[in-house]
Amino acid sequence: MAALAACVAATGCTNNPYPQTDRDKKVLYSSFYEAPKTLDPAVAYTTAEHVITGNVYDTLLEYHYLARPYRLIPGLAVSVPKAQDLPDGKQSYRFQLRPGVLFHADPCFPPDAAGRRTREVTAADLAFALARIADPAVNSPVIGSFAQIAGFGDFSKQLVELRRSDKAFAALPVHEQYAKVGGIAGVLAHGSHELEIVLSQANAQILYWFAMPFTTPVAWEAVAAYDGKDGRDSFADHAVGTGPFRLALYEKQYRFSLARNELWYGTLTANSDAPGAVFPSKIDAKDVAEGRIDPAYAGRHLPFVDRVTFHREREGIPQFNKLLEGYYDDGGIIKESFDAVIQSGRLSPAMQARGMRLDVTVEPSIFYVGFNMEDPVVGTPAGERGRRLRQAMSVAVDSRQYLELFLNGRGLPAQTLLPPEIFGFDGSYKNPFRQYDVERARQLLADAGYKNGIDPTTGNRLKLSFDTSATTAAANLQFEYLANSWRQIGLDVEINATTYNQFQDKVRRGAYQIFSWGWLADFPDPENFFFLLACENARSKSGGPNTAGFCNAQFDSLYHQMKYLPNDAHRADLIRQMLVILERERPWIELYHLEEFVLSHAWLVNSKPMGISYPAYKYKDVRPELRARLQTEWNAPLRWPLYLILCAIVVLTVPAVRTYYRERL
Amino acid sequence: MAAFFLRRIGYGAITLLGVLLLLFVLFFAVTDPDDIARKAVGERARPEVYAQWKTNHGYDKPLIINTGASGASRFTDTLLAEHYRRMLTFDFGRSDADDSPISRRLREGALPSLGITVPLFVMGLVVSVAVALFVAFFRETYIDRVVLVVCMLTMSVAGLLYIIAGQYLVGQLLRWFPISGFDPDPAVVARFLALPVLVGVLSGFGADTRFYRTIFLEEIGRDYVRTARAKGCGDARVMVRHVLRNALIPILTNVVVQIPFLFTGALLLESFFGIPGLGALTVEAIQGNDFSTLRTMVYLGALLFIAGQILTDISYALADPRVRLG
Repeated sequence: MAALAACVAATGCTNNPYPQTDRDKKVLYSSFYEAPKTLDPAVAYTTAEHVITGNVYDTLLEYHYLARPYRLIPGLAVSVPKAQDLPDGKQSYRFQLRPGVLFHADPCFPPDAAGRRTREVTAADLAFALARIADPAVNSPVIGSFAQIAGFGDFSKQLVELRRSDKAFAALPVHEQYAKVGGIAGVLAHGSHELEIVLSQANAQILYWFAMPFTTPVAWEAVAAYDGKDGRDSFADHAVGTGPFRLALYEKQYRFSLARNELWYGTLTANSDAPGAVFPSKIDAKDVAEGRIDPAYAGRHLPFVDRVTFHREREGIPQFNKLLEGYYDDGGIIKESFDAVIQSGRLSPAMQARGMRLDVTVEPSIFYVGFNMEDPVVGTPAGERGRRLRQAMSVAVDSRQYLELFLNGRGLPAQTLLPPEIFGFDGSYKNPFRQYDVERARQLLADAGYKNGIDPTTGNRLKLSFDTSATTAAANLQFEYLANSWRQIGLDVEINATTYNQFQDKVRRGAYQIFSWGWLADFPDPENFFFLLACENARSKSGGPNTAGFCNAQFDSLYHQMKYLPNDAHRADLIRQMLVILERERPWIELYHLEEFVLSHAWLVNSKPMGISYPAYKYKDVRPELRARLQTEWNAPLRWPLYLILCAIVVLTVPAVRTYYRERL
Repeated sequence: MAAFFLRRIGYGAITLLGVLLLLFVLFFAVTDPDDIARKAVGERARPEVYAQWKTNHGYDKPLIINTGASGASRFTDTLLAEHYRRMLTFDFGRSDADDSPISRRLREGALPSLGITVPLFVMGLVVSVAVALFVAFFRETYIDRVVLVVCMLTMSVAGLLYIIAGQYLVGQLLRWFPISGFDPDPAVVARFLALPVLVGVLSGFGADTRFYRTIFLEEIGRDYVRTARAKGCGDARVMVRHVLRNALIPILTNVVVQIPFLFTGALLLESFFGIPGLGALTVEAIQGNDFSTLRTMVYLGALLFIAGQILTDISYALADPRVRLG
C-alpha cells in the first residue's frame, strides 16, 4: 500500500499519457494496431503504412477531400492530365510538375546555397519512382498494375538479366543501373517539370495510381544513402518525401509522429493556392449540418495541425477506453462496447452528452464466399447441376443476420460485388439469389438433383468442404454460421480450418471447394472489383487474385471492353451485362460491404472518413483549449479510495497487534 | 566445489545443444523455408525475389547435407550448421517479418521489459515475503484467515481479468495512471510502468504469499525455533533472524529460477499495456509468423532457463554446503 501510495504520488496521479507541455498545442492524437513493416512508398501497402506514406509523400494527383463519388484533383501536378491518343492504339498522359516543390530537409542531400539540405523535385524523380516499382528486387506489390506502361516489362527483364550476367553492373547503385538500362521506354521526362507516360493501350484508370503513394517522387539520394548496411538506416524506415508532414519520430514498435513540413509546396508562396494546398471552398450542406465540416475553413491554407502523434495499441479495449477519456481524438468502436455506444442506430445519450460525433461510411469493399469453379461438384465442370447448387447455397445465406451476429450490423448486405460510390452500383437492384429464402434454396437444391441435400450417387447427404484460413474462435463461429446455413437445406458441410500457408497451398493445388474472402479496393473504379473474376487472373493459371478460378468467355469479353473505358452509359451497360452473368453463375455469394463507424470528439474539426483514400491529416484541425478543458473535467483523479484502503488495513491490523501484545507478552 | 559447478555447466551445455536441435526440427524441418519466404515476400512475388529473400535470410542452403559441396563444406555449408553457428555466436540475423536486425530489436526491447519485470519481481517478492511473515506471525488469528481468503480469491482470478479490471478501475475510474502506453523519458516512464507492475504484483500475490506462508509455518514448528524461544529470543527476532534465514532454500528455488526470465519480458502485460518490450515482441512474432524472431526468443528463453537452473544449483550450494555433496 505504501508502494502504491508512493507510485500515485511519484507519477503525478494522472491518467494522461501525454506530456503536459503539449496540452495547448495543435497536436492530433491517433493510434495504430500493427507496426508498419516498410515506409518504402513502392512497397508499403497496409493501412498502418499508408497512414505515414499518405501524409509524408505527396502524389501527382489526389482525391478531393469532400466530393463523393470520389474525384481526382491535382496534387504535385499542375492539372489532371487528359489522355492523348497515339498511333498503334497507344495513349499518353503528360503531367506538368509544379515548380519549386522541395524534398524534406534530410542529411542525404548536400547543403544548398541557403544551407538547406534539400533539393527541388524533378520529373526524373517521378521516373525513378516508376523504375523502382518495375524493379523486381524492390518487390513492389503493385508491379502488375503498371504493366501497360510501354516498356515496363522489358525494363524489368533487362535489369534482372544484367544483374545476373554482369557483376560490375549489379554492384552499381540502383539509380545508375536504371540509367544504364535506359529507363522505362514509356516513361519520359521532358525537361525537369514534365513527365509523359505512354501506355501500350488506352487505360483511363491508370490515373488513380498517380493518386497513391506508390508513384510519389523518390529521391535517388535517399535510396542510395539509406541502404540499411553498416549501421545505416534502411530506406524502408527512413522516409524522405515532399508531403505536408515529415516523419519526426519513428519508433515503429510503439509510436511515431508526423510534424508539419515547413518546406511543403503548399506553404511556399508560389504554390499556396494549389488545389491540394487549400481547404475545398465548396462544402456540402450535409457535412456542415452533421457537424463534420466547419464552413469557416473554406479556402484556408493547409495544414492546420502542427503534429500528428500515433501510439500503438495492441488491444482494442485500452484503445477504446483512451478514446473515451479523450486521449485519442477519434477512433473506431470495439465490439464489446458497441451496444453501449450505439443505440437504435444512433449515438447513445451518454456519448451525445460528451459531444461525440458518429460517422458511418460504407467502405469500398466486398466480403464474399467463393466457390472453386474448377471443382467437379460445385464448379463449372458440374454444369447446370453445379450452377443450381451454387444458387441454392447463395439463397440459403442470410447476410443481414450474419452482420447482426458478428459485426454489430456494421455492414451493408451485398447484392452484387460493387459497393456504393462505385460506378455501376445500383441501390435499387435486388439480386434474386441474394434474398434469403430457405424454401427456395431447398427447391433450387432439388432442381440441382440433390433433393433434401441427398447425393443420388451415394444416397448420402452431399458432402462439401469449406476451407478456411483463420483458426481463431471468433472466425470459426462465423464459418460455423455459414456452414449451418447450408446444413439447414440438407447439405453436409465440413469446415477445414488450416493456417494461412496451408490454405494457400490448397489453393495452389486446387484442393478446395468453398472459401471465404474479402477485398478492399485500391481505387474507386468497377474494374478494381471485376478483375477479381477475370479468367486471366485465375489463381490456378496465373497466380492472380481470382481465387474462385471463374472463367467465362462472355464475362471476359465484356470485362475487356469495360476495363479501361471512362464512366459513361456504354460502360454502365457493359457492367449491367456482367452483373447478370454473375447473378446466374454465382462464383461468389456476395455477403456484405463493410461499414466503418468512426467516433470523433467535439474538438476534432473537418474529419470526414475517406473510405477509398488515405487519412489526409492536412485537412483536419483540433481545438486544443476545448480538448484540455474536457480532458481535465473527465479525468480528475479519485484519491479517496486510496485513503479508504489504507484505513481498512489499519483497522484490520491494529486489533491483532493489540491482541498480540496483550496475550503473548 | 569447482567440479560441481563444471558438472552443472556441462549438463546445461548439453541440454542447450539438444534444445537447438529441437528448434532446428521445428523451424526448418517441419516448417518449409519456402513457406516462410512466401509468407514474407507475398504470394505473387517473382521467383528471383524469393531467391534473393531466402539468400538474405539464410534459408537457401540444404538442410543437413550439402550434396553440391565437397569436404567439410558438405556438412558446414548447411542450414543445420548455420543454425548452430548463428545461435551459439548470438548472430540472430534479420526479422522474417520486416527485415530489421533482431539484435537491435532485442536491445530496444530489453530496457522496457526490465522496466516492468524488475520492479514486478522485487515488489512481488518483498510484498509476498513480508505478508507471509506477518500472517505466519499472526497464525491462526483472524488476520491469517482474512489474508488466506484474499490469497485464494486472487489465485482464482485469471491473469487477463486483472489486466482488464486494473485498466478499468485504476486507469479509467480512479484515473491514477494511464491505461496503456509507454514513454522512455525517465521523467515520466514510471507513470506508464506503475499500473502494469501493480497488476502483476496483485496477480502473483496469492500464490506466492501462500507458498511462503507454508514454508514459514513449517520452519516455525521446528526444534530450533522452540530452543530460540526457550533461550528468551523475542518473536520478531525469531521470525527474521531464524525462521526467514532457514526458509531461504525453498525461497531461493522459487526466486532464482525467475531471475533470467526477467529479460524475456512479460507477454500479456506488455501486450495489453503497450510496452514495447521483449514479451510483446514474442507475441508479435507468433502473430506475424516471424519465424526468425520467434526462434531467437525460444532459444533465449531456453538459454535463460538453463542459466536459471545453474544459478539455483549454485545458490543452493552456497546456502547449504550439504547440497554440493549430492
